[in-house]
This record gives sequence, structure tokens and C-alpha cells, in this order.
Amino acid sequence: MAQAASDVGSSSRGDYDASFGGAQAVKGRSPSQLFWARFRGDKFAFVGLGFIIILTLIAIGAGFISDLVGHEPNEVFVSGDTGMLDDFGLPNGPDMSRSFYFGADTAGRDLFVRVIYGTRTSLTIALVATGISVIIGVLLGLAAGFYRGKVDTFISRSTDVVLALPVLLLAVGLAAACSGRDGCLGGLLKPGLFLISLIIGLFSWPYIARIVRGQVFSLREKEFIEAARAQGTGDWAIMWRELLPNIVAPIIVYSTLIIPANILFEAALSFLGAGVPPEVPSWGRMLSEASGIFTTAWWMMLFPGLFLFLTTLSFNLLGDGLRDALDPRTATR
Amino acid sequence: MRRKLRLIAIIAVLGMVTAACAAADDGGGSDSGDEQQGEVTQGGTLKAALISDVADAFDPHKSYYTVNWGFYKCCLLRTLLSYNGLPTEEGGNEPLPDLAADQPEVSEDGTEWTFTLKEGIAYAPPLEDTTVVAEDFVRSFERLADPKASEGGYAFYYSIIEGFDDFSDGKADTISGIEAVDDQTVKFTLTDSYGDFGMRLAMPATAPLPEGVADGHVRDYGRFLVGTGPYMFEGSEDLDFEAAPEDQKPVSGYKPNRSITLVRNPSWDPETDDLRPANVDRIEVEIGGTEEDVANKVDAGDLDINLDGVPPAQQIREFLSDPEREDQVQAYPSDAVRYISFNLAEPPFDDINVRKAVNAVIDKDGMRRLRGGPQFGDIAGHIVVDGLLDDELADYFPYGNEDGTPDVEGAQEFMGESEYDSDGDGVCDAPECKDIFAVTDQADPYADQAALIEDSLKEIGIELEVQALERDPMYEKCNDAGAHVAICLGPAWGKDYADATTFGEPLFGSVAIGPDSCCNYSLVGAPADLLKENDYDVTEVPSADDKIKECDTSAEDERVGCWAEFDQMLMEEIVPWVPYLFDNRVEVISDRVENYTFDQFHGGMALDHVGVSE
Repeated sequence: MAQAASDVGSSSRGDYDASFGGAQAVKGRSPSQLFWARFRGDKFAFVGLGFIIILTLIAIGAGFISDLVGHEPNEVFVSGDTGMLDDFGLPNGPDMSRSFYFGADTAGRDLFVRVIYGTRTSLTIALVATGISVIIGVLLGLAAGFYRGKVDTFISRSTDVVLALPVLLLAVGLAAACSGRDGCLGGLLKPGLFLISLIIGLFSWPYIARIVRGQVFSLREKEFIEAARAQGTGDWAIMWRELLPNIVAPIIVYSTLIIPANILFEAALSFLGAGVPPEVPSWGRMLSEASGIFTTAWWMMLFPGLFLFLTTLSFNLLGDGLRDALDPRTATR
Repeated sequence: MRRKLRLIAIIAVLGMVTAACAAADDGGGSDSGDEQQGEVTQGGTLKAALISDVADAFDPHKSYYTVNWGFYKCCLLRTLLSYNGLPTEEGGNEPLPDLAADQPEVSEDGTEWTFTLKEGIAYAPPLEDTTVVAEDFVRSFERLADPKASEGGYAFYYSIIEGFDDFSDGKADTISGIEAVDDQTVKFTLTDSYGDFGMRLAMPATAPLPEGVADGHVRDYGRFLVGTGPYMFEGSEDLDFEAAPEDQKPVSGYKPNRSITLVRNPSWDPETDDLRPANVDRIEVEIGGTEEDVANKVDAGDLDINLDGVPPAQQIREFLSDPEREDQVQAYPSDAVRYISFNLAEPPFDDINVRKAVNAVIDKDGMRRLRGGPQFGDIAGHIVVDGLLDDELADYFPYGNEDGTPDVEGAQEFMGESEYDSDGDGVCDAPECKDIFAVTDQADPYADQAALIEDSLKEIGIELEVQALERDPMYEKCNDAGAHVAICLGPAWGKDYADATTFGEPLFGSVAIGPDSCCNYSLVGAPADLLKENDYDVTEVPSADDKIKECDTSAEDERVGCWAEFDQMLMEEIVPWVPYLFDNRVEVISDRVENYTFDQFHGGMALDHVGVSE
């Protein structure tokens, strides 16, 4: 009965049936072929992927686009012939004839160019912060699941502790403490994108760690692990060569799903003034700058907000699609 | 120590000055006042708002805050001399007799000032049977000299009275330079001729203090304040000074951080007071809320004015674009200057040519636009605000263009003459011009202004590394000679009273170098040992001490000329700053307010001159 209900409700399930339920689905297929066949049918995930590819191109080509427009991200157009602020200091809106496609912000900077550069910031955070949390999460998850016992207890409780922390407050504090001219930890951490990525990464690994631990927990009882152990393979080699390749799929899925959370985390930090340095364009900071003035300068809220929304939505759609395609069981939920 | 106090005080003031004293020129209708004079509605309740409470809870000996001074001046305290509550061009910076029957008699050498008091001025209830006598001034100055009672205040302005410091240090039982000759006569003896002493006696801290009122209230005298102005705190009549100080209940009309309610003082006799029309019956001030919030209420007529905030740019634009409402926006010079300060001992700003180049390349019009445009002030070409120099230097723009636009070619010429531009192409090529340590305020619009400054400086090859701090830490950092801040982007300075001396020693005197003193961020006149102590490679910086001394002790009629010379000397021979804006205070009033007048003394609406229509 659950099967029937989900058949009606889920398009991906429907596509799945279309691909595999037919009479021709008798050929043997490799896992990647199976994955591709399932994923291909998920239109939403495809749109998400498409948008992410476009964003990536935008992020890479930000400098080129900025040259085309003729405005630098931190160049100000305050007064004189090129000025974008009126006699009351309020910014002018979108003006195609002057190549201010998204209008100007309160400092007289080109919002279009800044939103474009903001893509770079968000994707860098997405990559680096998520990378950090995946590395930490996978290592700890593997260790906990493989060794069990005290190691597991220690790691799992640590995970609980990190999950229980008031993450945003702590991150704001950390970011503020390290945002001084000399950074923190004796100058080891300088304010900038990496610092923010690190802070975000340090708080989002528990999700990965839990998933990995659970997977390893069941996998390590399987025969092929027993076999490897019987051959005298070391712990490290078992984890690295036998276990890890088998949990790549869930890692990819959950990494994709924490990317939007990390992007929003950076936006929240920047919104609160504890994010990336002011000269680095960030959607969160742009939204914060717009908050007091958006009744007059709606463009300052609309464009960065739209990009942030579409980006997180795309990663979520992609993540969902990947999950459905890689792990058919979840799709039937 | 006194100077240390001063630092904190001035920062507190500027916190407000910068927030509150935003300035513009003649955006509004300064004429509305005179036309309606005489037909102002009497009675009614004025409803005002404060975003944050006045500091020091209304203790006049402690309060170093212009918004608080506004309440004293209009309503609560009368002093020997005071002002007429009007703008500069209508005499608002001229001290006039208030409790004094006439202007003082000053001795030939300028050191003895004798005042005769008006007779029969009574204090507000519960002291309605007590009249002001000369001894009350002596008492007030003695409390002012007590470092505890005047903590955070401006007692240092009265060190020029003979014996004031000795009394303060506990070395004397009386202040030798203040004498109650008889009940109606008080005489001050000064250590030297100070032509601005009259203005110092128009400050609220010098108001007479009746016997017994402040006893036991070192910390909380403000809520037991009894003055002679046209208004008093509601519930003043219930004060009981017979009870032990700890058993006394404070006035009901002032609830710190919540509200202030002023009502008419029945003891006040309009016949004795030419300075205060006192039209409304009652003044209610609610404390708290956001600027947007208050602006909306003013818009709707639920509140009449925000006394300490800056109206949102959207509201100003909306009102000024509407002929029906444009006279609800009022803008007057607040006698404050906004500037960028160089550290004369820190490369590359140890080179005067670099400092001149920066002066020429800064987009002052842009800086003003980011503050809200022309309503918010006049472009500054020099340091002392025009209002204190009788406009003598109003046309003096040694760098850049008069309209505030940058002069890039001129700037590059200056830079070309600098030791930091080896090929003389007008763009700095020395490593000292990269990653220059700059500090600014993180609040709006300083961050936007910093972006503009950075953009402008690229023209002459200077690259800043800007650190944005909260306001107080910013001032502390810029004031700390040991912090090596090369350029401070966010400071502002307002007058305390209308003499340019308040723009002299505290800003450019060698005694005003921090961190133990204030506010000579540029290190003008720093002695060699101080530079060495703070690890500067530069061993010598120019000094302005001699000129400051000369102007400080000059007679009343020579002062303006002297300070104008001082200003020009600074701008041409020392160049410690880029002054960019003579600030305006911009206020938006509700359509109930009649006869708006700007009180030049404190830099805001004169609450005693306005009326409200019902």
C-alpha cells in the first residue's frame, strides 16, 4: 500500500518504474549505469545540476564578466558623472543604459558585479567548508564504526556535543575573535574566506560522521571484510580500500545536502557582520546591507536574495536527486 | 588623569555627536521661526523621543553630552550667562546675561570677572522659597572640582580659575579664585587672561547649586536636580531634602532608560528670562526604539521629534520632495567637523607631500553623499568650523576643488614631490604605500566611506588595510600613540562651546597625545622621547604648541583672527588631517511643531522655543 501511494506521489519513483519496469529491462547493468538511468529521469535534480553548472561558470568567469561590464566589484560610483547615489545618498536602481543591471548598493558599487563575485564566495565556501567537514566526518565516522567500543563511545559523544552547541553563536564569536588585523592563534588564522570555511567546516562534520559510522557499522560484518581480515589486511587498509569505496555513495549524497546549509551558514555569519571581510562580496552581507533600506532600494534585497535562494534550492534538488538515484530504498519512503 | 577623563567624555559626546550631530546647511526652512514669532501656540504637550538615554543620569557636573546639555539649556538650569536658543546667524553663539543682571565687569588684564546677579530668582519646588545667591555658585564649583562628583565631565575647563586645581587635589579648603563678594555678587580670578571665560560660564555644570540638595548624591544627583529654568522634572515638588539622602525618593519625572517628563516650574518668572519663551506646558520624552521606528511615528504625528538620532535618508527624501512637508526637515550646522587623521610619524604619512596629495585626492562630495548629501553639511576645506571663525575661512580650500570633487592631477603633483614616489609619476611606488594600517568605525556609513577612500587613494598608489571597529574602540585605537594607526578614517569633532580653543589644544597640543590624554591622533608636536618610546623611526614631527598658547590667551576681539591663522598654518605647514565635512544636524519634525528654532549651543531643536498645535 505504501508502494502504491509513493508511486502516485513521487515523480522520480514514476521515472524509475518507467525505466526499469518495462519489458526491455532484462539486460545486466553496472551500478553507474543504474545510477545514471535513475538520475536522468529526475527533472528537478537535472535543473538543479544545470543551475549549479551555470553558477560554477559564473564564479570562474567573474573577472571576465566584470571586465565586460566595465565595473570592478569594489569600485565605487558615488559622485560625478558616473555617480549612482542621488542627492540624499540613496542608491539608484537598475539602469541598463549605464550597465548597472542590478542597480547600485548604498556605497555606490555595482550590485550586478558584486552578486556575480558573491557566487565565487558562496561556491568557495561550499567547496572548502564542505570539504573540511567531509574529511573530518569520514575519518571520525570510519574510526567509530570500525573500532566500536570506547572509540565509538568517545567519538559519538563528541558528535553529540558538537550537535548540541549553539553553533551560530559560537561561530559568530569565533569569527569575531579572529577577525582582527592579526587574526587569532598567534596569527595562524587570518581573517578571510578560509577562516570562515574552517569555522563552518568545524561545525558541520557531525552529520557526515553519523552517516558514515552507521554504514560502517553494518558493512564491517560483511563477508568481504571478514575475508580481508583473514588475509591479514591491516585496519587502515581495510578502512581505506574495502570500506570507504562502499560508502562513497552516501558520502556524496550527504555532502551535497550539507552544501546548501553551509552556504546559508556563511550568509548568516556575513549577515551578522561576522562573516567574510567587507571587501569580499558576499550575498549574506549584501542582504544585511539591504535590510534597513529595502523599501526604497528593493534591488539590494531582491538580487542577492534570489541568487542565494536559487543556489541553495539547486543544491537541495541535486542532493535529493542523487539520494534517490544512488539509494533506491530512500526513494520508496 | 584629568585628560584621561576627557578622552572618555569626548568619545561619549562624539558617539552622539556623530550619531546626532549629523549636519547639513540650509536644507530646511530656517525662516519659519521668525515669521511665526509671537503667534506660537501656548500650552500643549511636546512629545519627543530619545534612542538612548542621556549618560550620567542628568548630573550636570558629570554630563558631557550635547543632547543632555540641550535639556539643561532650554528647560532645567539657568547659568550666569547663556544663549538665546537660536542659530549662529541670529546670535546663537553669543553668551548673554541669564542669571547675571548684565555682562560681567572684566578687569584690564582680563583675569578678574565680576558678575552681579538678578534679584529674586527662586529655585523650583520644593525650594520655591530659596533664592539664588552668590554662594550657590561657589558651592557648584566646589562640587565640580570634586573628581568623584564630576567624573567624566569637563572640570578641566575650569583649571584656569585660580586655586581650582589645588581644591581639586585637596590642597586647599576653598577655591581661591571664586569669591561670593555679597549675596548678589560673584567674582572669579583667573590664572591668565582667557577671553573665552564667559562661554565657559555658560556651560550647564556652572549652574548654581542650592544648599543641601546634592549632599549624599555623589552618584545620583541628576534625579534630585533642582534648577531655575522654566521647566522641572515632574514630581520635583515631592523631593524631600529633610530626609536622610538614602531615604529620599528621586523625581518621578525621570525614569532612566524609559522616560523623561518635564512640567512647568511655578517658580520661574518670564519677566526675568529673555532667553526662553517656554511655550509648551509639558515635554514628554520616551526613551528607546529604533530610528526607523521613531521616524514612522514622527511621520504619523505620534511623536514630534527624535532628539538623538539621524532621520533615515528615505524619510528626508520623501519629505523634501513634497512641498507640503519640506519645512518638516530642518538642517543647521552643528559646529562639528568630520575628518580623516594622519599619523605624522608613520610612513608614508611622515611626508607632508603625501598628506597634501591625500587631501587633494579625497572625494569630499562623495563622502558627503554617503552621509546623506548636501543636507548633511558643507564641504570642509579646513579644520575649525566656519561658525567659530565668523566665516573668515569660508572660501579657503587649499586642496581639491571647492565643490568637494577631487583634484587628481594636483594630488599626483604633490605625490611626485614625495620621497615615496621615486620616479615622480605621481603614483607612490614605495613599499610603505602598501598595506597601510587604517582604522574606521564599523557602523554606517563609515564602511561605505572607507570603500570610497580606498578607491580614491588608488589614484596616487596608496593601498590601505582597513580595520573596522566599534566606535569607542576605534577612538581608543586612533588615540593610542603606540598602536601605530597610520590613518584614522572615522573621527569627528564637535565644539564644546563656541570658541575655537576647543579645536586647539585637545586636537593638536602635544599634551593631548594618547593613550593617557586625548585627542591628538596625529601626534602633532610629539616630543622625540615619546616617539622613541612608541617605536617610531621618525624622530621629529611639526608642533603647533606655540600658536595654540598664543591664541588661547588672546583677548576676545583677537581670538577669531588668531585661530584662523592657526587653522591655515595647520592646513599648509602641518597637514594633520583631511577635513571633509562641516556637519549639519538634520532633524525631521512632525506637522504639529510650530516655530522650529535651532539652538546653536547644544546643536538641536530648542525645546523652549517651539510650540505644538493641537
